[in-house]
This record gives sequence, C-alpha cells and structure tokens, in this order.
Amino acid sequence: MWLDDGGTVLSSALRLTAPLAFAACGEYLAERAGTLNISVEGMMLSGAFGAVAVGSATGSPTVGLVAGAVVGLLVALVHANLSHRIQINTFVVGLVINTLVLGLTSFLLQTMEFSRTQVGMLRIPGLADIPLVGVLFEQRWPFYLLLLVVPLTWFLVNRTRWGLELRAVGENPQAADVTGIKVNLRRRQALMWCGVMSGLGGAYLSVGLVGSFNNNMTAGRGFIVIAAVIFGAWRLKGTLLGCFLFGAADALRLALPSLGVELNPQLLVAAPYLLALTVMVLMARSQREPRALSKPFERGLV
Amino acid sequence: MSHDRARTDGSVPALELRGISKRYGPVVACDAVDLTVERGEVHGLLGENGAGKSTLMKVLMGLVSPDAGEIHRDGARVEVHTPQQAAGHGLGMVHQHFSLIEPLTVWENVALGEPGRIDRDAVCADVEAVGARYGLTIDPTARVERLSAGERQRVELIKALRRDPKVLVLDEPTSVLTIAESAALFEVLRTSVAAEGRGVILISHKLAEITAATDVVTVLRRGRLAFHCRTADTSAPELARRMVGRDVSLQAEGAALGLVVTDDPAKHLSPVLAGGLSAVPAEPPAPQAPADVPGTAALALHGLRLAGPDGRVLLDSLDLEVATGEIVALYGVEGNGQATLGDLLSGLIAPDAGEVHVAGRPVALDRPGALHEAGVGVIPEDRHRSGVVLDMSVADNLVMTDLRRYSGRLLMRRAKIRAQAEELVERFAIRTPSIDAPLRTLSGGNQQRVVLARELSAEPTVLVAAQPTHGLDVGAIEDMFARLREAAASGVAVLLISTELEEVMALASRIAVISSGRITGVLDVADASPQRLGMLVGGEAA
Amino acid sequence: MTAPARRPLASYVVGNAGLRRPSADAWRTAGITVVCVLVACALAALLVAISGGSPTEVVDALVTGSVADSAGWSQTLVNAAPLLLVALGACIANRAGVFNIGQEGQLLIGAMLGCFVALRLQGPGWMVITVALVAAAAGGGAWSGISAAMYYTRGTNVVVTTLLLTFIAAQVVQFAVNSPSLLQETGIGNGPARPQSDAVPEYLRLASFGQYPDLTIGVGVILAVVATVVLAVLIARSRWGFRLNMLGLNPMAARHAGIRASRLGGSALVLSGAFAGLAGGVILLGTVFRLQPAISNNFGWDGLLVALVARSRPGLALPVAVLFGGLRAGSSYLAATGVPDYLVDVVQALLVLAFVVPPVLSALWGRRIRNRSAVPDTPARPSAAPAKEEVPV
Repeated sequence: MWLDDGGTVLSSALRLTAPLAFAACGEYLAERAGTLNISVEGMMLSGAFGAVAVGSATGSPTVGLVAGAVVGLLVALVHANLSHRIQINTFVVGLVINTLVLGLTSFLLQTMEFSRTQVGMLRIPGLADIPLVGVLFEQRWPFYLLLLVVPLTWFLVNRTRWGLELRAVGENPQAADVTGIKVNLRRRQALMWCGVMSGLGGAYLSVGLVGSFNNNMTAGRGFIVIAAVIFGAWRLKGTLLGCFLFGAADALRLALPSLGVELNPQLLVAAPYLLALTVMVLMARSQREPRALSKPFERGLV
Repeated sequence: MSHDRARTDGSVPALELRGISKRYGPVVACDAVDLTVERGEVHGLLGENGAGKSTLMKVLMGLVSPDAGEIHRDGARVEVHTPQQAAGHGLGMVHQHFSLIEPLTVWENVALGEPGRIDRDAVCADVEAVGARYGLTIDPTARVERLSAGERQRVELIKALRRDPKVLVLDEPTSVLTIAESAALFEVLRTSVAAEGRGVILISHKLAEITAATDVVTVLRRGRLAFHCRTADTSAPELARRMVGRDVSLQAEGAALGLVVTDDPAKHLSPVLAGGLSAVPAEPPAPQAPADVPGTAALALHGLRLAGPDGRVLLDSLDLEVATGEIVALYGVEGNGQATLGDLLSGLIAPDAGEVHVAGRPVALDRPGALHEAGVGVIPEDRHRSGVVLDMSVADNLVMTDLRRYSGRLLMRRAKIRAQAEELVERFAIRTPSIDAPLRTLSGGNQQRVVLARELSAEPTVLVAAQPTHGLDVGAIEDMFARLREAAASGVAVLLISTELEEVMALASRIAVISSGRITGVLDVADASPQRLGMLVGGEAA
Repeated sequence: MTAPARRPLASYVVGNAGLRRPSADAWRTAGITVVCVLVACALAALLVAISGGSPTEVVDALVTGSVADSAGWSQTLVNAAPLLLVALGACIANRAGVFNIGQEGQLLIGAMLGCFVALRLQGPGWMVITVALVAAAAGGGAWSGISAAMYYTRGTNVVVTTLLLTFIAAQVVQFAVNSPSLLQETGIGNGPARPQSDAVPEYLRLASFGQYPDLTIGVGVILAVVATVVLAVLIARSRWGFRLNMLGLNPMAARHAGIRASRLGGSALVLSGAFAGLAGGVILLGTVFRLQPAISNNFGWDGLLVALVARSRPGLALPVAVLFGGLRAGSSYLAATGVPDYLVDVVQALLVLAFVVPPVLSALWGRRIRNRSAVPDTPARPSAAPAKEEVPV
C-alpha cells in the first residue's frame, strides 16, 4: 500500500521537478556568468504560453515545445541587451520583463482560442515495471531530454573553453576583459542559454504536464529555480537536488489530503523559499557565490 | 630615432611602431610615436602619468585602434585590432594589475584568453615546462587565490611566455615585488627572455629600474617621443629632465620622479639595480625636526591584529608611534598590510585586537567616525573608494565628515556649507568651475586637494597619507609634498604610508618598514639605506 | 592612469539615479524619452488591434474611468495612494543603495497586522484606526527588517531575500485566513467559511471627504501626499537625507564620514517596508475592508515600478503614481470595449521601460559625442580644462 502511494508521490514529484530542472540548468549557467536572472520566471511563463500557442496552431505539441524554447530565447535576448549591452540594472530589467510577460500572456490568453495540445507518454518497457522507481521510466517524453540537457550544461560550464570564460566573467570581469574575453557578450550568451532552458521548462509545464495554458501558469516557479541555485551553492548537482526537493514538497502538498496526513499546506508551499533563505544565511560566508554575481561590467570602471 | 640607425648586420627589428597617433577629441594621447624594439633587447619605456605610455601599449595589444600609424613585426606590416590578433602576432603582455581570476586554478588562468579547445593535461605540462625553463616553478593545479604576489607574477609571466611571444611587454612589473624579487625578475628577463631573442618592453616610472635593467630607453612626454638613447649613454638625471621637459632639482622633485637621493647608491643597491645608477649627486637629506617630545605620542598603534575573511593574517601585532610635528613613513612592498592599515585608520574596518591611541586617549575603533572625531585625518590610498562621493558636489564633499557642524537639529545649513566651501576652495587652490559642480568633473589632482582640504580643515592631530601621490603628475606631487611638510611643521603628526622608496626618503624623518603585516624595523632616515630597507622589506632584521 | 571618474551606467536607474546630471544630457534624455513613450503607445495600440478592439475606444474608456469626471478622479486617487506610499518607501531604499523588491509581501503582512488590530482591538474609532495603521507599518517594516538583518549580519543579497520573503508572506496570510483561530471569517449561516477575514466594522473605515458623484478624497490620499512632501524635503534638505544619499553613492566614504551602514541602510530598508505595510493598511481600511490573500493586487510590484519611473525622487513619484492609478482606475472600464484589462499591465511595463532606458541611452550617446570632441581627464595636463569624463578604452 505505502509502496503504491510512494510511487504515486514520487511520480508526481518527478513530474513537478522536471520544469524546475530545465530552467535551473539555464539559471545555473547564467549565474555562473554573473547574472542573477530574476526574469527566469518571465522566461518560463512566456515559454509555456508560446508552446501552447504554437502547439495549438500547428497541431503538434512537439513543435510547440520547440517554440516554447524559442520564445524563452527571445525574452532572454531582450533581457540580455537591456542589461548587458546598454547596462540597465539587471533586477530592474527582470522586474519589468516579469510584469510585461505576465500582462502580455494574460492579455493574449483572453483574446485567443487554444485547443488542447499535449506531448505523448514514453514508457520504457521492463524498467517501468520496477516497483517505486519504475515511475522514472513512465513520463512524458520531453522528460528524457533532461538526460541530455543536464550533462550538456555541466560539460559546457566545466569542460569547455566557453564555460571557462563564463566562469572567469562571473568571478572577475575586469581581469577577464584584460585577458581578451568579451565580458558582456559572454553574459549575453549565458542568458540566452538560460532563456532556451527556461522556455523549455515552461513549455514542459504547459504542453508536457497540463496540455493547456492558464493565467500565471508558472506561479513563481522561476523564483523557486533561483532558490534552487542558491540551495545548490552554485553547483549543478546541488541545484538539481534542490529542484527535486522543491518538486517533492509540491507533490506532497497535492498528495497529502488523499493520504489522510495532516500537514500544513502553506508550510509546504513556503518550504522552498524558507529552505533557500536558511541556506543563504548558513552559507553566506562560504564564498561559493560567483564574486561578480549581479555586478554590472563596464570597461574602465573598477 | 632608432629606425634611422644604420643596420650593418641587415637584421630586422622584432617590433617597429611607426607614426602611431591616437587622439581623443582635440587631445592627442599619442602623436606620431615611433618605437623600435630589437630582438634580445630590453627596451625601457619611460614617462609621466598621461604621457601616452598606456595608450601606446593598448594600441599595440589591440585594445585601442590608432588613428594613424603602422605596426611591423619582423619587418612585415601587421594589423592588430583585438587582443587575440596581438597574441597571434607574437605580442604578449604582463599587466600591472594582475589579470588573474582568483578562484580559478593556475592552469585555467594560463589557458584563459586563447582560442580553441582546452586540454588540461597539455596546459599543465606547458606550465611546468615553461616554469622549468625560466626558473618560475609553480603548481599548475593550485588555486590562484592561495598564491603570494610574487607567485602570481610568475603565473602572469608563464601565461605570457607559454604563447612564445616575440615581444613581451611588462607594465610596471615590480610594483608588488620586493627588491629581491624585482632583481630576480630582471635576472629572468635578462638571462632567458632577452637571450632567446625576444624583445622586451619594460614600462616603469622608476628611473633606477630603467637605468639598471634596460639596454635602450625611450621617453615619452605629452604624447610625443621626447628622447631615445642607449641606456649606457645616459643618466638618471638626464632621463628625469627629458621626462619632465625641464631641469629637475633633485632634492625637491627627484623623489617624485623616482630618484634615490643617497650618498652613494651603487654601494647600497642590489647588484642588478646598481649598474645604471651612478650619476646621482649626493645631497644630504632635508633637515627635519623630529619633535621627540617625551611622553604621549600623537598617534600610537598598539598590537594591531587583523585577519581577513579567509583567515589570512593581514596585520600582525603592529606597533607604531608618531610624535607631534613628525613625519613617519610606513614603507613596504604593496600588499603587506598597508591597505589594511589605511582602511583601519580611515575607520572602514575594526581590528581583531589592539588599540589606537590619539594624543594618549584610546579610540573606540568599532564606531564609525570615531577616529575622525578623535582628530585623525586621512588621505586614503584610493580616493574614489573611500575619500569622496563623485556624484555629490564639491561643497558637499568638503563638509561631509563634519555634518553636525553644518546642520541644525534636522536640516542642513546651506549658507554655512557654502561659506566653508568657498573658503577652502580658495585656500587650497582647488580648481573647479563652481562649488556646486559634481566632484566627478574635477581632475584627479583637484579631487585629491578636496580630500586634503577637508581633512586638514578639521584641524587634525594626526594626518594619515596613504600613497598620496599615486597617479598625480609632477606638479601635483610637489604641491602634495609641500602641504605634508607644512602640516608637520604646524604640529600635525603625519603618518605617510608609501611604497615609493624615494618619496619616503624625501619626506620622512623616521621610516618604519612593514612586511607581512608587521613592523620589521624602524630606522632614522639618516641611518636608512636602500639596502637596509630592502632587507627589512624582505622580512629580515637589518 | 588614474582610476577613471566615469559614472557607472547602471547607476542611472537604481541608487540615486539622476541625483546630479550634467544638464547637457537632460535635453537629449527628454527627447529620447518622448520617442520611447510614443513607441510604447504604438505597441499598446498594436496589441489592441490584435485583440480586435479599437484603440480610440480604449483610450476613451481609460479616460472615462480615470479623469473624465470627478468620480473617475476619485477612483484614480484611491488607486494612486497605495502606489505612492509603496513608491516612497522604494525611493528611500534605493537612495540608500539597498534595492528592496519585496514590497508586495511587505504590503500583505502590513494588511494582515492592520486587520488583526482592527478586528481585535476595542476602543474609540480614531484610536483603533491609528493603531491599526501603525501596526500595518510595523508589520511591513518587520518583514523587510528580516532582509535587513540577514544582509547586515550575513551579507545575503537583499534583492533575493526580499523577493523570496514575498512568497513566504503570501503563505503566512493564506495561513491566517485559513485558520479560524486567527483571522478566518466566522461563518455566517451554514455556508463554509471562506479564506478571508471578517469585514472591518464601518466605524473603523478610513474617512473620506466629499460625496459621490463629487470628488472624494480619502484619508489615505491625504496621508500619501503629506508623506511625499515631508520625504521630499527631508531627502533634499536634511542631514538624514544627505547621509542617505552619501551611503547610497559611496558606502565606503559614508563609513569614513561616520555613518554606520547597518544602522542607516538597515533603517532605510525597514522604512521602505513600513511604507509598503502602511499601504497595505490603507488598502484594508480604505477600500477592501477585509483581509483576502489577493488584497495586495500587485500594488507592491506596481508601486516599485512607480519609484523606478520617478528615478527615486519622491516629488516625481507623485505624478507617476497618479498616472498609474489612473490606468488602474480606467482599466475597469475596458470590459465594455472587449479588450482585456490586462492591457493596462502591459502598458505600465512598457512605460517603465520607456522611462528607464532613455537616461542610459542618453549617457551612452553623450559619451560617444564627447569622445569625439572633448578633453579627456589626463592628469599630466593640469592646464587643460577639467573634462567631464575619462576617455574610455
């Protein structure tokens, strides 16, 4: 009995983790390059909307998924150029983008009609029958993209020259500049990766899990992603662990009433934020944070 | 000029800059500058702040595109528009302020800024190979943040040398090194680099260094080529004259230009440095009045101890006393705790242990502004960091440390502020369009005068001047020297924190040497010689 | 070379933006702003066209709902008051160099505490109202005070902590209105109790002067205007304002001048939260009358946007708040045109961009122009006229 319930909760936890994990890959990379990107929320929301809009128009949720990533990229381009080309404070840009995306998607949702569009399940025979962990192998197919995206993100940051330059830019942009690295270009590129990943995460939420778009669909998931990166101390493994914890808390909140367990649902909703704050306080001096995080770079200024 | 020189052997110079010009608006930063560097030659590039050295080198490194001029490498004209192109043409540079990323490892830093894939093992092997060849051993997997200043310099050198540059530029390479480390650096340049047929350009404002370590010297003044000569055929005083464009009185200005004024420098300097220093005439140090009043010193530091956030000891049981009317210099190589002490005396940080007494009374160091109230005026090392607020007006900057005097219970007293500002602008000859102009619009020297005026107008008991002449031109330096002497003569205890040996020798009556955050010795200026100071700087007792 | 005296571009938006700007740039900035606002309007018109509405009808509806008659003006002012209060707080924090973006949560906590006092405290109306408003301000201040404490003891990023605390605040309020022992309404009749509080009794509601359909001005509006005037004077003329600006522009120099950042900056952050909390109290006692999870209704976020458009100047925040309040008031008349009222959110965001981008663009262009014509700040030439900016390389 508990195995079944456990399987159900785990399955739902995984489903809720996936959108976070996609976006977290992007946010992790952007933060390593020095952008604390709060418009990740707007990127996810626009991706979710774009995926449904295009998926419903073309009749193909897969095309919608791609479109979600592209829309996320477009939002990232706006953010990147405003904050790392003409140097407007990145938080201001993020705030405005979040407001704009929320207003725009809500506006368009009311003026347009969308049909249901959802990607298919992919069940891996055999593996899916294993008790408890079997749920891992019975997911909407984009879930398995994570198997590609997560190692790729890690590889990009830790093994490529591009990643080395990103890290240099996130730690000491002045020195990186003298070395011949185009600091703001690298930061823009990192944001674009973040846009694609967040768009994908949002798209997974809409055309993957739900099949449609509703108002303010991401409901702060982007900020949970930021919390996850902090929770993971700017390491990919920890970040993904954070995503899973926060996804599980969400799953528990949904599952508790049917399990007959009394646990404060508000506490579970707030848990990711509380955990992130706790970690911030405990780790404040651990110096894992990229040193130039959220510090703008202009040549000639110290 | 050098490229007019007859080439009997038919060789081609490693690098030739022809007619490089760069204007910023109506101002000419470089005006048709020629520079020729032969293979195997150490070429000194000398000039005041703003003489065009930096612009010229930025052109060479592809950081600035010139308005006119050509760059030739081994006789062939090359285009250099990006740092990558510069590297591709065999031009390498070691920057004055290290371009290293601290949290990254040595090999990662070395690999940074190159094109192509990274191969960790190959880079590590290279680091070790280059290190072995030039005697610059370093662990390629160490994190840079754990390295000392000298080791970081090594990493910079390895990074530049690994790319096998045909011409290597070093911008003020010794500013963070001890005399011994500097000597070792020049040894490497001389015996390995130059001997391998590379050209080296050594940028420095220290005349002694240029005369000792270079073969040829070029002097820039106001963007133009002012002088060019074999180093052996010239002398430090002549170079000083060429740099400033007029005769230089050694006692008054020599220090500002980096001339060591001692009876016989050749006897005291390390062998490498001594070579070129022979023509400096002897003059006795200026008479000072060390008011050795028995009893309480105006400023007394007792057992100051401070560790950084990473646990590194920045100040280690530091003791020092400065008497009324005396100028005491705290001399040492950059990065040995001077900046920390400056911050501490500015009230920016509190020590872990120890006390500061002003006129015999202890000061509550954890309370911001307590030192200022106790009578400590500070000219900070980096005035933009803690000395001024660039976006506030000259008037506001002149009164900001004494707000209580210029405000009622709630509101500021504008008229009183203006009166005070007008008076100080007059008295300290601050050149500003108006007292309401943002401080940002003033020149560096005038910003420094604003700081000095504000700190002295509070009639301090103690004046702490940390690198007060950094980045100033000769005129402003002379002015600063005069004002410091004047302050001391009027009974202010002056603590001069400086890395410039010449400045210290010219101004102070006593010299305390700091090394690794502790005082290694205190000498009267009469007993101080570069050699003895050098040993103290290296942490040895003299 | 000496450290350049160029001003960071980022400072043109947050942190004392435009405290003193060379006036040569002012005209160019104004020109670009006009162009940007026109572009924003054009984009909005395009959206309206997409949705099948008529731009003129939309403008008509917005004007009708906001400024066409005194009833419209009343609505505009009712909406402007909390926006202005939030914006004033944001001005204080921005000037001190601590960027608080958690006003939405601080406002919620303020409304919750105000509600608690209003429903539980017995006494004469004026006293309970005063205590409720003070409690609201204290609640908002305490909430941002958490961020302040975390920042000044552990160095955590204020933007992130204030942001995360907003979501926690929402859950705290949810909890309060779902707990019968706290603030959940005492069910009337047999219907299930909804997640909201009981209504605040009539005598505890904020008074307003004037009678519908004439212009009505609530106590909240008066409060906000008075606060604006006081704050504008304090920032421009008082020692506190001087120190606040100094702290925001150069914390190191401020410390050297005897300012304790944790005290002045921390109190600025607390004060900014208090203003947001006060806004929550005003909304509760002035318009909504009961605590609901959605009571904040984006007033916190939008108030912050008002401060950004006003470049952290209280005097400018007043007209901007009225503009944003008018848009809100007008949005309720959009339904008749068939255009979703979310249009107003889009317009607000576009307006913020239209006001935030020009100063930076203008500074960039000015720099380019000067590079071609002006004198760089080279210390070697003391005779040269002092230049405005260093030569960038």
